[in-house]
Amino acid sequence: MTIRLENLTVKFDERFQLNTINWELAPNQHWVITGTNGSGKSALAAVLASVGESISGTIEGLPAKVGLVSFEAQAELIAAELKKDDADIMDVISVGTPVRDILNAAASNTQLLNELVEKFALTDTLERSFRTLSTGESRKVMLIRALASQPDLLVLDEPFDGLDANTLVMLQQYLASLIETIPMVMVLNRFDEFPDFITHIAYMDHGELKHQINRDDEKAYAELYQLLHLKTSNLQIPAADPDTVIPRLDPEQPLVRLNNITIKYADHKVIDSLDWTIQPNQHWQLSGPNGSGKTALLSLITGDHPQCYVNNVFVFGFQRGSGESIWQIKQFIGYVSTALQWEYRVGTGLRNVIISGFYDSIGLYSKYTDRQREIANQWLALLGMSERADQPFNKLSYGDQRLLLIARAMVKHPPLLILDEPCLGLDDMNRQLVLALIEKICADSETSVIYVNHHPEDQIKGIDNYLALEKH
Amino acid sequence: MSNNYFNTLPLREQLAQLAKCRFMDISEFPDGVSALKGKKMVVIGCGAQGLAQGMNLRDSGCDVSYTLRAAAIAEKRQSWKNATENGFVVGTYEELIPTADIVLNLTPDKQHTPVVTAIMPLMKHGACLSYSHGFNIVEEGMKIREDLTVIMVAPKCPGSEVRNEYVRGFGVPTLIAVHEANDPKGEGLALAKAYAVGTGGHKAGVLMSSFIAEVKSDLMGEQTILCGMLQTGSLLCFDKMIEEGIDAGYASKLIQFGWETVTEALKYGGVTNMLDRLSNPAKIKAFDLSEELKLIMRPLYNKHQDDIIDGTFSRTMMADWANDDVNLLGWRAETAETAFEKTPAGDVEISEQEYFDHGILMVAMVKAGVELAFETMTAAGIVADSAYYESLHETPLIANTIARKKLYEMNATISDTAEYGCYLYNHACLPLLADFMKGIKTDVIGKGQDLADTGVDNARLIEVNAALRSHPVEAIGSVLRGHMADMKKIV
Ligand SMILES: NC(=O)c1ccc[n+]([C@@H]2O[C@H](COP(=O)([O-])OP(=O)(O)OC[C@H]3O[C@@H](n4cnc5c(N)ncnc54)[C@H](OP(=O)(O)O)[C@@H]3O)[C@@H](O)[C@H]2O)c1
Repeated sequence: MTIRLENLTVKFDERFQLNTINWELAPNQHWVITGTNGSGKSALAAVLASVGESISGTIEGLPAKVGLVSFEAQAELIAAELKKDDADIMDVISVGTPVRDILNAAASNTQLLNELVEKFALTDTLERSFRTLSTGESRKVMLIRALASQPDLLVLDEPFDGLDANTLVMLQQYLASLIETIPMVMVLNRFDEFPDFITHIAYMDHGELKHQINRDDEKAYAELYQLLHLKTSNLQIPAADPDTVIPRLDPEQPLVRLNNITIKYADHKVIDSLDWTIQPNQHWQLSGPNGSGKTALLSLITGDHPQCYVNNVFVFGFQRGSGESIWQIKQFIGYVSTALQWEYRVGTGLRNVIISGFYDSIGLYSKYTDRQREIANQWLALLGMSERADQPFNKLSYGDQRLLLIARAMVKHPPLLILDEPCLGLDDMNRQLVLALIEKICADSETSVIYVNHHPEDQIKGIDNYLALEKH
Repeated sequence: MSNNYFNTLPLREQLAQLAKCRFMDISEFPDGVSALKGKKMVVIGCGAQGLAQGMNLRDSGCDVSYTLRAAAIAEKRQSWKNATENGFVVGTYEELIPTADIVLNLTPDKQHTPVVTAIMPLMKHGACLSYSHGFNIVEEGMKIREDLTVIMVAPKCPGSEVRNEYVRGFGVPTLIAVHEANDPKGEGLALAKAYAVGTGGHKAGVLMSSFIAEVKSDLMGEQTILCGMLQTGSLLCFDKMIEEGIDAGYASKLIQFGWETVTEALKYGGVTNMLDRLSNPAKIKAFDLSEELKLIMRPLYNKHQDDIIDGTFSRTMMADWANDDVNLLGWRAETAETAFEKTPAGDVEISEQEYFDHGILMVAMVKAGVELAFETMTAAGIVADSAYYESLHETPLIANTIARKKLYEMNATISDTAEYGCYLYNHACLPLLADFMKGIKTDVIGKGQDLADTGVDNARLIEVNAALRSHPVEAIGSVLRGHMADMKKIV
């Protein structure tokens, strides 16, 4: 029978709830639920075992017997055992419930139970007190309980965690043998652990079911892989190249000081008498409607706008128009925009695109060092693109190109990183990918960020200065 | 009347000047733009080259302003808008020329005599006058005041590319030269080098050459393979396809975009790569056709080169200038009326490979034209590097202009001098190829080969491949492209 969750909101405790979940699990489907820690993936799995307090919405078609294995369930069982101990006021010290009893209580088929005990190599522990088991052993007990109950639905939250290699292989094979009879939902975090029989993937984020992906959709599957990789791997953003030194800036001076700026085309003023100062280590969000001059203003800073020569522009220690070259300015800036992506129509490999960030060039025209190559490789690893290092850039998906250009902008750890609508034109999954990368950058580096956007849902943690432009 | 400077030189000196060309390594530019620091650069004219070069120089830290003829300022012409909207100071000759340490003459070649005559008296003692093409000095024999330094910095690409490549962090191949008759302080080379750096040219490769070699090779390239051959080929191929019953829209599109597509292959891997894009039987066919074309056209290429070297060409053209451009304008109108020009490209899908497969004759024409121009130039004493840039290197750039808007766009983009030479070539070449074209069928233009058996004779294929690869334009091409690829890992 199909299980159907409609606009379901479920509360777990004061701090956590799942919001308006819409989800359908057909009988022949096997799902993985994935997401970062705290995203609600375990909560969603638990809902299928009737955990949580339903606030609104409906859930239909839940089978009578659901076999649940999870850390929470395991912890509960252990806590219950310990409580028994506390409650015991006899002067004999309690030995606790033997494993055999715990298993028997749940099993509906003794023969199956014995088979499983053997498979999981727990025969020797049957007489031991459950309390004395190691985490791995008690996890096995949980698994046996769930499987031996011959459930109508198996909900396995990180079932492979803490299992030794042999047991892991055994369990995977065993589960595969059940797929015709029992639908399964697993919570898993690592793509390489997804069993082959999984047909669908649900991605949770902040208590919401953000994506539902059919495994046959290769593109969506690959994107999800990357997203999870960026969000959950512990990789740090790669360090700067010690040999490619950006000159030191005077910490007392602002990075950028624009005084009484006016930008006009023919007689139309796009920016009128604007002042803006950016101090080191400040992060800024720049917003404003289309045509309010956001990009023009930024290109005054980057030196790409010819009117930087007729305005009072002070950047990185240079008063513009005093004999400096744009390359002296650009060395302090990392820059990403849709326009750059259009410009960057080159067939060069992904690694080279990242290396070109050291030279502020579109395409790579310089002999790079081994160290720069190594740093570029680290970035590719961070992005989950190591295998594709030599593929041509222009064959990448739009979202991947954007990620790569952000890495290119950041590779030299510039004092200022300008992200001009970095999420523009991206679908939801790719937006989250880009935002995940930007958050990593804001958290891990000393770079000041100017972030241009006008979608409130694309906020970035750590940005606390705002400039809003109006349309003239 | 003008006095051809080249013709005043003794033969020994003529040969030495023609042969002057050396590829400079990027390590020869350690001083960057410092020779221009503190100097005031004033550009005359703000057209394609003027705007692009000025913006690059300013972005490299140079002090750049523009001077325009009074009418352009008063009427706020496009050139005035180009300069002011980009935040440059614009002034009259009287206001700016006397303040200039370097004057960049970037007006059309045809106007150089009146322009230089007007500004020379206003120039500071000991200042520098620079050109991006040497026609005025070499062909018109313009005499420059003795205290002035005269240099040339000639990007080998249209202005738009000069700017775009700079913004990408690269540059375009650039030829520099010092007019030895005008280098009183011996600072010409240092200034030209710094100027080339300021435009980004040093990153893509600088050829140290002479005014004479630049002019004689530039003229030769533009009138023969670059513009003449493409124009003649367009007209012949189109008419042939119509005659053979091919859909006019298809024929128009195959040609308009075909040049660009096949010469793109040239840009990456020379003539060899362009022919390698064909099937084996088609390659052999294209090779044979091009051999035949070379045999027929060689005398025409020789004549163009001879007329350029001895000054006949510029004399005839300047006579037309003096006659209100009657010939030029007449030919321009005539071109606009050709069937190819008047038939819009059809709304049909043509794949990249189909342009090769159905355009075997076009491939053969490009090969013949590139090789002939190169062979003729080098035979006249022009160094291979220079001959390569003026033939093979620029062919894809010109082909792009045809893709944009056919021959009209090509002739509008190129200089009047190139356009004039292109028509001369076209008029001579059309009748020359009339007989050859009688034997042409749709298997080499329009439909492609329809062979049940695509097998070829091994010995013949080996022979053709060897001939392709051993042509001298391929040797120098792979060196120069390799040199660029060395820095430009991407191509
Ligand atoms: N195009 C190329 O691919 C290329 C490549 C390398 C070198 N070059 C050389 O660069 C130079 C400039 O060529 P271009 O293609 O840039 O020319 P262009 O686009 O036609 O621009 C010429 C500029 O000169 C001005 N001008 C025209 N007649 C004038 C006169 N009598 N007095 C003063 N100013 C005048 C024009 O402005 P107003 O009419 O508004 O006054 C215009 O701004 C030439 O020597 C050319 O050979 C060109």
